[in-house]
Amino acid sequence: MTASDPTGPERDDDVLAAEYVLGVLSAGERQAVAQRVEQDPAFARLVDAWEGRLSPLAAGYAEVEAPPSVKAAIDRRLFTSSAAQQDRTGLWSSLAFWRGLAAAAFAALVLAVAVPYLGAPPSPPQMELVASLTAEGSDVRYVAVYDGVRNEVRLSHLAGQLASDKDFELWLIEGKDAPVSIGVVPAGSTAQLTPPVLVREKLAQGAVLAISLEPKGGSPTGQPTGPVVAAGDLNDI
Amino acid sequence: MAIIVLAPMTPEDIATLIVRTSLKDRAAFDLLYRQTSAKLFGVCLRVLNDRAEAEEALQEVFVKVWTKADRFAVSELSPMSWLIAVARNHAIDRIRARRRPAADIDAALDVADPAPGPEALAVAGGEADRIHRCLEELEQDRADAVRGAYLKGESYVELAERHAVPLNTMRTWLRRSLIRLRECLER
Repeated sequence: MTASDPTGPERDDDVLAAEYVLGVLSAGERQAVAQRVEQDPAFARLVDAWEGRLSPLAAGYAEVEAPPSVKAAIDRRLFTSSAAQQDRTGLWSSLAFWRGLAAAAFAALVLAVAVPYLGAPPSPPQMELVASLTAEGSDVRYVAVYDGVRNEVRLSHLAGQLASDKDFELWLIEGKDAPVSIGVVPAGSTAQLTPPVLVREKLAQGAVLAISLEPKGGSPTGQPTGPVVAAGDLNDI
Repeated sequence: MAIIVLAPMTPEDIATLIVRTSLKDRAAFDLLYRQTSAKLFGVCLRVLNDRAEAEEALQEVFVKVWTKADRFAVSELSPMSWLIAVARNHAIDRIRARRRPAADIDAALDVADPAPGPEALAVAGGEADRIHRCLEELEQDRADAVRGAYLKGESYVELAERHAVPLNTMRTWLRRSLIRLRECLER
C-alpha cells in the first residue's frame, strides 16, 4: 500500500487509527483498537496525530451547561466515604476506586520519603517543591524534590529496574515546548542533580518533570529518544 | 495558596489543571470541571442525543479524567483536544454498546447543533481553516460523512444507511477520504 495510491479499501495502521478517531468502527473493533493503543506506543502516536488533525472539527460541539447534580454525583463517586459505606460491593469492584486507593497510598509514600528532605528549619514553602514521578504501564517510580535555595533536584528511586546499557535522564517540560534536559540520573537509591541556571526559574514556578529511558550516558540528540517511564508535576508541599 | 483563576483560561492553564489533577489535587479538579464541563457535556449530548444518558456519560468522563489524568503528560495533544478525545471516545463507546442506533438525527440537530460560531472558529484559527479547506476538496457527500461521523459518532453501518450506499462502498469512500485529508493537511 502507499498513501498516494489509495485504490482499494485496504486498511493500514494509519487508516485504522483514523477510523478509530473518527468513530466509525463497531463496538468490537473499537475495543480491540483501544487495547492496542494501550500496548503499542507507536500506534498510540498515530491515534494522537489523528486526534490532533481532526480536533478543529470539535468547534462544532456546543457548550451546554450540565446540571449541578452531575458534579455532585461525580464527587460522590470519587470522594465520599459514606458512599463507600452504602455501596460497598459496587465500590470494591470499581477500578477507579482501586486506582484512587493506589494513588492515595503512593501519595503517603511520597510524603514519607520527602519528609526527611524537608528538614527541621521551615524554609519558605515555595522554595521546596515535590513531584511524584510515575507513568501508566511503567514500574519506574521516583520522587523528586526541588530545593530552590540550593538549586538542587534530589531524586529518590522507589521502584523500577534499569538495564546495564541504559540510563535514566531527567527532563523539564513546560507546556508544549521541547523538553529541556536536567541531566542523566546517577544510579542509586538517592541522587542529586544541579539543573542548568536557565531552567532554575521554570523549576521554581512548578514545572512538569519527566524521566526517559536513554542510551548509556544520556540522549545523544539533546531530546528524549526513549520512552517516558515516569513523569509528574512539581508542587508545593 | 488556592488556585484562583478568572476565565478565560489559556491552554497552558488547562494543562496545569490536568497535571495537578493527576496528582489528586481536588481544587484543580473542581476548577477543571468548571472550565471544561460545558464543552464536554456538549460532546456527550451530541453523540448520545439523550439528556439523561449524556449526564451519566459526563460523570463517567470526569471519573476517567480523575483516574487517567497522568496520561495527558505523555500524549502530544493540546489539553482541550485531550479532554474532548476522552469524552468523545467514551460517548462513542457508549452509543456502540447500545443496541439501537441514535433515535432521530433531526432531533439531535434541534438539541445541540450550532454550526461553529465565528468565535469558536476564530479561536481555532488557521488550523481550523486548513481542515475545512481540505474537507472542501472532497466531494460534498464524503465531506459530510466525515463531519457527521466526527460530530455524531456515526458508525459505518449508520453512514451507509443515511447515504444509501452499500457498507463496503462507505468503507472505501471514507478510507480514501481520510487518506486524501491527511495528504491535504500535510501539504
